[in-house]
Order: sequence, then structure tokens, then C-alpha cells
Amino acid sequence: MMNLLAVGIAAGLAALGASIGIGLIVSKTVEGVSRQPEARGPLMTIMFIGIGVVEAVPIIAIVISFMLMFMF
Amino acid sequence: MEHGNPIWTYDVFGLPVTFNLSTVMMIIISSLVVFLVAFFMTRNLSVRPTGKSQVLMEVLMNFVKGIISGNMAWKQGGRFHFLALTLILYIFVANMLGLPFAFIAPDEEHTLWWKSPTADPSVTLTLASLMIVLTHYYGIKMRGTKAYLKSYAQPVWFMAPFKFIEEFTYNLTLGLRLYGNIYAGEILLSLLIMVMASGALGFVGGFIPLMIWQGFSIYIGVIQAFIFVMLSMVYLSHKVSDDH
Repeated sequence: MMNLLAVGIAAGLAALGASIGIGLIVSKTVEGVSRQPEARGPLMTIMFIGIGVVEAVPIIAIVISFMLMFMF
Repeated sequence: MEHGNPIWTYDVFGLPVTFNLSTVMMIIISSLVVFLVAFFMTRNLSVRPTGKSQVLMEVLMNFVKGIISGNMAWKQGGRFHFLALTLILYIFVANMLGLPFAFIAPDEEHTLWWKSPTADPSVTLTLASLMIVLTHYYGIKMRGTKAYLKSYAQPVWFMAPFKFIEEFTYNLTLGLRLYGNIYAGEILLSLLIMVMASGALGFVGGFIPLMIWQGFSIYIGVIQAFIFVMLSMVYLSHKVSDDH
């Protein structure tokens, strides 16, 4: 039972942090595109790299929480 | 929920080496699919494209070319064109294979035979370490050992330990990002299928979310293939380009 609690806390906190981070990245990109629409292509590429880098951490947390759920 | 794995163990000098047979099978299947697609799409090439397949392949090659030339000069990066093309096709096909259905053997362990090969950490971490080793190889080959070693002490000498650890972090995050996305997607798919199999109400309630999640998984598969190739090329350009 305790491991389910741990899974919930780990996955929830990871989702919270990652959603804040990705929201910041996308909002700044939208700001940049609206200021300079011709820079849309490069900005989108950089945005996807940033999202990829940010997303790695919560995904690792999700994998750890799956391991907690099924292995123990 | 818990699926078994068809594990086959073989002793090499007393050390057990484990093979996950379903992963081996799925790697072979996705390699075959990529080979056949690339083979039959590039038959009957012409200067003025007549069929759809040649146009699609040219669009894909231009896309990969755009990824590389966004990171390094084409004089240096041109040699990675087909590497990046193979990588993006392989990861895309591998991500897509587990989506339409899964095959679970009707034994007591519920052995899972059909899945995405990228839903296995050994596959994705192997791909990631392959790319990282390749960056070091090309860093030494194209810039020389001296410049390669000197790049660790840039911009100041005490950054060297951090740069050294960074290589392992790149490897870990590059592999685990792909694995985590695909594995989490497949877990959620099988959870939704369990909801649908639980009864009439579950079938009605789980049908729409299952379709939505499958559509979202296609998006995730495309984005992850793109990000894997993109980051590999960024790491390659760190080692290869000598503008700093």
C-alpha cells in the first residue's frame, strides 16, 4: 500500500514540475514568434529541443514509479 | 497487468547473458520493415518524380538535411545524412509497431510477444550509447586527438570533470527519454484495454479514451524520433565543429 502512495507522490510531483517548465518554454516561444513571425522555424526547433530536455526528467520519474508499482 | 517476458539465458564463461526473445524478434521485424520500405520506395527513381513514394522519400531526406544543417556546416555534417535518415526511420517504425495491437501469449505468465522494441531500455540505451561513442569517434577523427582533449578544458580548465560527467548524462537521458515515453504509452494502452475488457460499461467508457491515446501516441512517437535524431546531431556538432 505504501508503495502506491510513493508512486502517486513521485508521478504527481514530476508532472507538476514538468508542466510548469514546458508551459514556460512554450509561452516564451509564442512570445518570440508573435514578436518576430519570420523566426518561427528556428524557434520551433529550439522549442522542441528544450521540451525534449525538460521532458526527460519526469519520464524518468514515471519509469521509477512504474518500477515501484510492479517490482515491490 | 503484469506481462511476463520470454527470457532466454546463455552462459558465457560462467556469466549469464540474458536475451529478451520478444525484443529480439521485434528488432528484426522493425529492421525488416525499414529496409523494405526504403528499398521499395527508391525503385524507379526519375528526375521528374512520377509516383508518390519518391516524393515522400525526398521530403523525408530534405527534412533530415534540415535537421543536420541547422546544427553544423553541411561540409562537416553531410556525412551523417544517411545515418540520421536510418535512425529517424528506425525509431519511427519501432515506435509505431506497438500501437495498433499487442500479442499476449495465453499462458499463465501472460508473456508479451508483440510490443515496440523501443519499450525496452536495453534497446534505447544501446542506441544512445552508440550515438555517444560515435560523437567521440568523429570528434577525434575530424579534429584530431589534441583538439578533442583540449575541448574538455573549454572554456576553463576546472570545467573538465563536469564535461566528463555530462557525457554520461547525455547517454542516460537520450536513452531513457525514448524508453520512458514509449513504455509509459504502452502501459496506459494496456490499462485502457483492461478497462474495456471489464464489462459493457467499461467498453463504452474506455473506447473514446483509447482512440484519443492512440492518436496521441502517434504524435509522441513522431516527436520522440525527431528529438532523438535532433539531439544526436546536436551532440555530434558539439564534438565535430571547430568554431569555438
